[in-house]
Amino acid sequence: MTEPLRILVVEDEALILMQIEMMLEEAGHSVVGTAMTAGEAIALVHETRPELVLIDLRLGDGSSGLDVAHAVRDLGGITAAFMTANARALSDDMAGATAVIAKPFTGTVLEESLAYLEDCVRRPPPDALVPAGMRVAPAWLASFAQMRA
Amino acid sequence: MEQPDAWHQTDQLDAAPGKGDPFAAAVRATRMAMIITNPRLPDNPIVYVNDAFLRMSGYTRSEVLGHNCRFLQGAQTDHGAVALIREAVEARTDIAIDILNYRKDGTPFWNALYLSPVADESGEVLFFFASQLDVTDRVDAHMQIQQEKDRFEAEVAKRTRDLTDALATQTMLVHEVDHRVKNNLQMIAALLAMQTRAITDPAARAAMEAMLTRVEALGTVHRRLYQSNNVERFDVAEFARDLANDLVRGSGRDRIRLHLDLETVEIPVAKAPPVALMMNELITNALKHAFPDDRPGRLSVTVAPDGTHVTIKIADDGVGMPVQAMEQRSFGKRLIGTLCRQLNASIAWMTNDPGTIVSIRLPREMAGGLEAP
Repeated sequence: MTEPLRILVVEDEALILMQIEMMLEEAGHSVVGTAMTAGEAIALVHETRPELVLIDLRLGDGSSGLDVAHAVRDLGGITAAFMTANARALSDDMAGATAVIAKPFTGTVLEESLAYLEDCVRRPPPDALVPAGMRVAPAWLASFAQMRA
Repeated sequence: MEQPDAWHQTDQLDAAPGKGDPFAAAVRATRMAMIITNPRLPDNPIVYVNDAFLRMSGYTRSEVLGHNCRFLQGAQTDHGAVALIREAVEARTDIAIDILNYRKDGTPFWNALYLSPVADESGEVLFFFASQLDVTDRVDAHMQIQQEKDRFEAEVAKRTRDLTDALATQTMLVHEVDHRVKNNLQMIAALLAMQTRAITDPAARAAMEAMLTRVEALGTVHRRLYQSNNVERFDVAEFARDLANDLVRGSGRDRIRLHLDLETVEIPVAKAPPVALMMNELITNALKHAFPDDRPGRLSVTVAPDGTHVTIKIADDGVGMPVQAMEQRSFGKRLIGTLCRQLNASIAWMTNDPGTIVSIRLPREMAGGLEAP
């Protein structure tokens, strides 16, 4: 790993949030913030300018991770990925996010997904394999293919 | 419409016009209401009316003669039907149409009108001949049937709507429950993963890791189930691919090559969790025992349909199963044995020379269930 990624984690389930945080830190990344609602998350995106945002689709206070992804897209230059038990609810454009990781994920899938997203941020196009349960947005796949060409 | 030469037929009768004319007599006497209008006069007035028409309409002859037929129309008469008749008159063509007319006393009746132009040799239309038949009973019956049909269709549409709504609600509930199941499995895995990190005792830690792997295998079942569009069948092959890849890569054992030989076999969803747990135990077991001291090797997973059964084979080319391990009453072994009973499966442990092959054979369908599609 070249340099730890600065990551914002948006997840309203305390246990899952803790697990993701723990795994990110074990992998040597830096968690610059955690949010449980879309409002919190959008404020933190502006405040911390992370390199990667991991977003749950259903958030606290009935808010939606889609709003977070839209804010990230509008800001530009930040990679976003959804982590959700409702991956099928996402349309192909994924609100501009790069990928969706389906819950429940195994520890291995989370590690491999992170390796892929790290490639996306640090050295696109990504070389890492796409693990089972992770789906990359078609628009991003196309742009990665263009980079490789 | 009348044939062009049909009017010659009357010549052959050699009958005098007036009272002796058999055609005029027939028109006068028939029970079919008939009128003749003259389109060459202003407003195409009635110039002849028979007694049947007077009986049907309730008017006297003097009230009818010299007037246009429109006095038969009333409040509920369809404007479209009137327009069609007017167009036929203007085009000098014939028309047959059911139209709602009114008697002198104001009572409505359905009139099966037949209107036809009568032309001379030069083709000029001299008269219109119209016959009228009271078909109120027929139209009423027809309309009643139509109303019944409309009512029935409305009822069916309403029931369909209700059922569609109920189904949508049910689907939403299933998705909600599914979402919660998956989130809960993720939470259990999170708890186990975090607790495991805090344990220093290697045996306790290994037990916790084994538990985490089992929970993750169940999680993978649920992820796969709702990734497919079929919520009743579960593809063992696709699951095996995800599970074996995850376990081998997660083991950090780069020198173990995974070989997959997978053919699609669908089993009922109810069988998915025990099948998943069984495969998880066998693959984990092989990874743990077959390749000690970072020994390189090959692990192969086969899923194949076998008539009404499915065969799952886990084979390694490792050190072989030590006799003690075979007979050990470990938790993993007990779990495999009990899962076999639940699945009605047979299991065989064989020497692969070198290594071990575990072969499981289980019925694809539920006991007493349907034949495989």
